This record gives sequence, C-alpha cells and structure tokens, in this order.
Amino acid sequence: MNKIDSFPEKYFAAVPGIIGWVVLSARTAFARVGASLLELPAMPASIPLDDWTVAVVDWLALNLGPFFDFIQLMLNTINDALLAAIQWIPIFVVEIGGLDIRFPVWSLLLFFLLWYLAGQISTGLLGLVTLWLAANFGLYVETTETFALTLTSALIAISLGIPSGILAGISDTVHNVIRPVLDLMQTMPVFVYLIPAVIFFGMGAAPGAVATVIFAYPPSVRLTNLGIREVPQELVEAGEAFGCNYWQLLMKVQIPVARPSIMQGVNQSIMLALSMAVVAALIGAGGLGGEVVRGIQRMRVGQGFVAGLAVVFTAMILDRATANIGARE
Amino acid sequence: MPSIELEGVYKIFGDEPEKALKLIDEGASKTEVREETGQVIGVQDITFKIKNNELFVIMGLSGSGKSTLLRCVNRLVEPTKGRIMLHSDGKDYDITSAEKEELREVRETQVSMVFQNFALFPHRTVLDNIAFGLEIQGISQEERERKSQELIEVVGLEGFGDSYPSQLSGGMQQRVGLARGLATGAEALLMDEPFSALDPLIKVEMQDELLDLMENMQRTILFVTHDLDEALKVGDRITIMDGGKMVQKGVPEEIIVNPKTEYVADFVENADPSDVLRAETVADKDFRLDENDKVRLDELTEVELGDEGEVLKGYLSGTPVPIRPLDEYERIEEEALLFSSPDTPISEIMRARLDYTSHPVLVLKNQEFIGSVGEKNILRGLLEKGRGE
Ligand SMILES: Nc1ncnc2c1ncn2[C@@H]1O[C@H](COP(=O)(O)OP(=O)(O)OP(=O)(O)O)[C@@H](O)[C@H]1O
Ligand SMILES: [Mg+2]
Repeated sequence: MNKIDSFPEKYFAAVPGIIGWVVLSARTAFARVGASLLELPAMPASIPLDDWTVAVVDWLALNLGPFFDFIQLMLNTINDALLAAIQWIPIFVVEIGGLDIRFPVWSLLLFFLLWYLAGQISTGLLGLVTLWLAANFGLYVETTETFALTLTSALIAISLGIPSGILAGISDTVHNVIRPVLDLMQTMPVFVYLIPAVIFFGMGAAPGAVATVIFAYPPSVRLTNLGIREVPQELVEAGEAFGCNYWQLLMKVQIPVARPSIMQGVNQSIMLALSMAVVAALIGAGGLGGEVVRGIQRMRVGQGFVAGLAVVFTAMILDRATANIGARE
Repeated sequence: MPSIELEGVYKIFGDEPEKALKLIDEGASKTEVREETGQVIGVQDITFKIKNNELFVIMGLSGSGKSTLLRCVNRLVEPTKGRIMLHSDGKDYDITSAEKEELREVRETQVSMVFQNFALFPHRTVLDNIAFGLEIQGISQEERERKSQELIEVVGLEGFGDSYPSQLSGGMQQRVGLARGLATGAEALLMDEPFSALDPLIKVEMQDELLDLMENMQRTILFVTHDLDEALKVGDRITIMDGGKMVQKGVPEEIIVNPKTEYVADFVENADPSDVLRAETVADKDFRLDENDKVRLDELTEVELGDEGEVLKGYLSGTPVPIRPLDEYERIEEEALLFSSPDTPISEIMRARLDYTSHPVLVLKNQEFIGSVGEKNILRGLLEKGRGE
C-alpha cells in the first residue's frame, strides 16, 4: 500500500533530470554527427507543383474565359442590385448644435426587420444603433458595401450548400466525395483563394464574392448533411410505415426534422461570409475591410479601430438575425 | 375483411444469416447462435394466421422478438426467411415478395402502425401528426382536418390540436401516435405496446375504445403488450414468445388454464383469471338425476330436467321458483334461480352472487343443463385456474 503510494512521486522527481539529460545529449550528438545535416543547402522543388498550378490556372483563364466572365457579370449584378437597393433608401440630415447628424431611414427599417427575425426588440435596437453610428462615423457606404457582399456570397453559398448537404446526407457516395473537398476548402489559408480569384474575375466585388462563397459554402453542407443523418431512424420508419415515397420522406420527414441543424449551417455560413468579405478588401472588394486595410497601410490606428468595431457590430447583427430562425416555427 | 398469414417467418440480425439458420436447424438456442456466429435471432419459425376482425396479441418478455415480428408484417424489418400474406380489400398481397411500389401502397392504404416509442414528428402539431397518413394518401386539407379532429376527440386530446409533441406528456404523446395510426382508415393495424405509457384510467378507456372499434368497424389487429391483464381483456387469441420462438398460442382461457411450458406458467401466474375462466370450465358437471328427474344442487336447490336435458322447473326448499338469465338479475324482484351460458366469465357470476343470490347458477348450453356453478366451484376455479378440472 505504502509502496504504491510513494511510487509516482519518486519517479516524477526524476523526470526533469531525465528530460534535461536527453535534450543535452541529443544536442551534443547532433552538433557532432549531424552538423552537415543541419546546414541544409537551399532545395528547389524537384516536383514543381507550383509551376503545374500556374499552368492549370493559365489554361483555365485562357479557355474558360467566357464562363468566368459570365460568373463575374452575374455576381456583380447581384451585388450591385443589392447595394443599390440598400443605398437607395435615403438618409436625412439634421443640424443639431452645429453638427450635421445623419439619420438613415435604413436604421429604422433594420430595427423592425431584426425585431421580426430575432423575435427580440433588443436585436432591433442593436441594428438601429449600429447603422446610426456607422452613418455618423462616416462608414455608412462601407458598411452597406460589406452587407451587400456578405449577403450576396452567403446567399449563393447557402443555396449551393443546402442541396449539396442533402445529397451528402442521403448518399454515402456523395458524402465520401464531398468531404475531402470541404476539408480542402476549409483548411486552405484564405488568402490563397484570392490570387486565382483575381486572375479569373479581375478586381472588385466579383472575385471577393467568389472567394467568400468558397469559404462560406462548407458549413451549410456539413450541417445539412449532419442534420439529415441524425434524423432518428424511428421517424424515417414512421414515414415509411405510412407509405411515403422517397421524395415525400425527404420533404415531409427528413428535411423538416433536420431543419434546426440546417439553420445552424445557414447561420455559420453567413458569419464566415462576413469574415471573408472583410478579408476580400485585399483584392479591392471595398467595404469595411477596405477601411481596415487602409488603416493598416497608413498606420492610422483610429481609422482601423472604428472600422473593426463596425465589423464586430455587423457580425452581431447578422448572428442574432439568423441564429433564431431555426428555433422559430 | 383483412387477414394476415405468416408462414415460417425468420428474422436473423447480422450479415451471415445462413450460418445462423443452419445452427437453428440443428437445434441451437438463441444464446448458442449468438456465441457461435455473432448473429442475433429476432424471431424464428413463426406461423400463424390472424383472422378477419380478430385481435391477436403477442406477449413475451423484453427482447423476446415481439416488435421484430410485428415489424416484419409491414416489412420495416426485412424477414430473412418465410412468407407473409395479407388478404385485404379483396386482394391478396404477398408482402414478402412485394416490389417497392406495391409495398408502399400496402403501407399507405392497407396496414397502419402504432409505434412502441411513439415516433411522433417533432416539427408537426398534434393535428398534423394525426393527419400525416391522410396527407400521404392525398386527401384534401379540409377532409384531413375533419378526420383528425374526430380522432383527437376519440383519444381525449381536445384542445391540444395545435400543440407540438414536445409540449405533451408521455401518455398524451402515445395517444397522438394511436390517433395517427387509426386515422388512415387502414383495416389492418399493427400496434406495438400502444397503451404502455397510459395511466390505468385512460388505459381502460382506450382498451374499451379499441374493443368498440373492433365491434363497429372491421379491423384486424396485431397487438403487442407486456400487460397480461390487457392481453386477456382485448385479445381474441394470444401468443406467447420466448427467445424469438412462439411457445404457445390460443384463446386467453387456454393460456391460463393450460400453460404448455414453465415460461408460460410463470407468465400467467399472476393473472386475474376471473375474467377469463368461463362458467363451463369451472362448473360442477357431475350431477345425478333422481327418480323424479330432479337434480339436487345443494341442500336447498333442486332443478327438474326434461327429456332433452332442458330445465323444466327450479325449486328452492321445495318451492317452485322461476328461472331467469344471469345478466338480468338487477331487474328481478322475486326469488329466482339464475342461468348463464357456458361462455359467461365467472367474474359475472361472482358479481350476481354477491348482489342477488347465494344459490348455485345453472349453466345451460343450447337450453340443455350441463352443470352448475356454486361457491366451491368458483373458489376452486380461481385457486387452480381451472387446471384442477
Ligand atoms: N436492428 C437490430 N439489430 C440487431 N438486433 C436487433 C435489432 N432489433 C432487434 N434486435 C434483437 O432482436 C431481439 C428481439 O428484439 P425486439 O425489439 O423484437 O424485442 P421486444 O420483444 O419487442 O422487446 P421489448 O419488449 O423490449 O420491446 C433482441 O435480442 C434484440 O437485441
Ligand atoms: Mg418491442
């Protein structure tokens, strides 16, 4: 009994000593034996994957030009239409104590919209205050641009993501094919998308939207797939027992039961779309991200901070607005 | 009009059912099969026929294969071997070999189901849950609502039509599942422990409702339960399952009076036999005619029989008294002797004896006197569950 109790202590005491000894001897050993190994010469790639990538990208740009032009046109159209719709709503300016205080009508509309979507008056107020502040901090245009780009991309990502997720949910083959693609999309550093996006779609909103769609697509797929797969077996059986065909089972049982999970995916897609829409400023997508980038380039701490804060508020609005939709009936 | 027929139905869970089937042929038990092949026997060699308008009860301990058997009938569980036939709406369906579309049609229109764990759709209101089967049948919104509303009342959930299942208690959820199963109008019903979560009062109400349904509309029901008293009450016939096998099948009285195995005997040990034992079973059939064609039933009671064995007169202490049917005793003013049919449960005789008469009750079969039930016969019947006879 006693022996066992004292067993670990004794050995733990020795651990630092042992580690120290191992490290020291290893270092000496390497210093002596492996000197030549440690000082490696520069190694140019013997398999030039980077060159191949360039070749593929060039080939695509050359041969699929019209296709990319079409995508570019479509994205720009959606984005511009959305932006126009947002910016068309006027801003009233009132002079109060010598200051021109702006009152965007949108802040009021947003108030009601968010109140309705989130079911809470506080979320409505958050929207009202955010837009009012944005207008008076001189970030109204940028905020609306970011909104438009985020919504455009999220809309596309979600309307591609949910059907893909449903397919993956009902077919193991699709699931196995799509999973590594999603992994690639999510783990590839986000900046990597930006380069080919510019090559294919030029500068501006369109390449930003493409990169954002790629980034925001996976969560919709994943959570829709998960939701479908987690529908209790018994409910599927209940559907079958009452004579559902394949389509009815999907539309009347599987999708509705998976709905909370699907809506969670929508929420996550929108949040990721926002974060990428900010980064997309690096390739000229403008918006709040552009302000942040300019703030960094010119070392303007204040400008960067205010724009960053606006991003945070926008994120909160988008999150609250979409988080509750799944729970609502 | 539906009837359901099972012929040598097996269900083996696992990916090597042939191995298991072979072992079963060699007489291996469920445990042996599992240990040797890793296959689990769901049910084995089940053969029976459920007749039109019959309520057939499956009983057995947990894991004995009741749900598996029930689910084979609409092929939610795919039988490994055997044949299941459904005769319904003037058509014969070979369930086991039915193609996808035929099976779907059978499920939509001919066979409905009540699930053991309710399996309600969480995204649908109570009303929409009940209407689910009707919706699949393509029935109009209006008609669906009318029918579902009707069923909501049948199961006693008025006012909860717009609630969601998560807002209901377990017992209420079960009643929604019950209503959903009944709503489709299918004449064959598979009910997997449909009353298990109900409190005793509502349970009795629902059982009576079910018996009414059987009486007023033609229904053929396969009914799984754990509750022996329930089985005895609602079942036309009962089968007892053990380890996937059917160990006994028969009318309720047979099971109680004549359990074939230890397992069945243990099962029915605590049953209340008074609703099941019939007058004929417990009656004293050993009577002697004296020279006046009279039979003495006890010190006070005598009956005089005619040539065909019919009862001519009854006597109490030598005085003639009328002879009246047992179920009318509440309306009889004067002193009389009561008679019952052979199938009258002894619980009814006991009640009449308690309220009206302490004299033996005559048992008549097509007018013919076949014996009498006195206090001793009832007590012996209850004690020995009729086995003493
Ligand atoms: N999907 C399945 N896969 C493997 N084995 C199963 C499956 N379903 C049932 N079994 C097995 O089949 C046997 C019978 O199960 P079943 O569900 O029919 O029992 P039951 O009599 O309905 O029990 P209970 O009263 O608990 O509902 C059990 O041994 C169980 O482990
Ligand atoms: Mg069961």
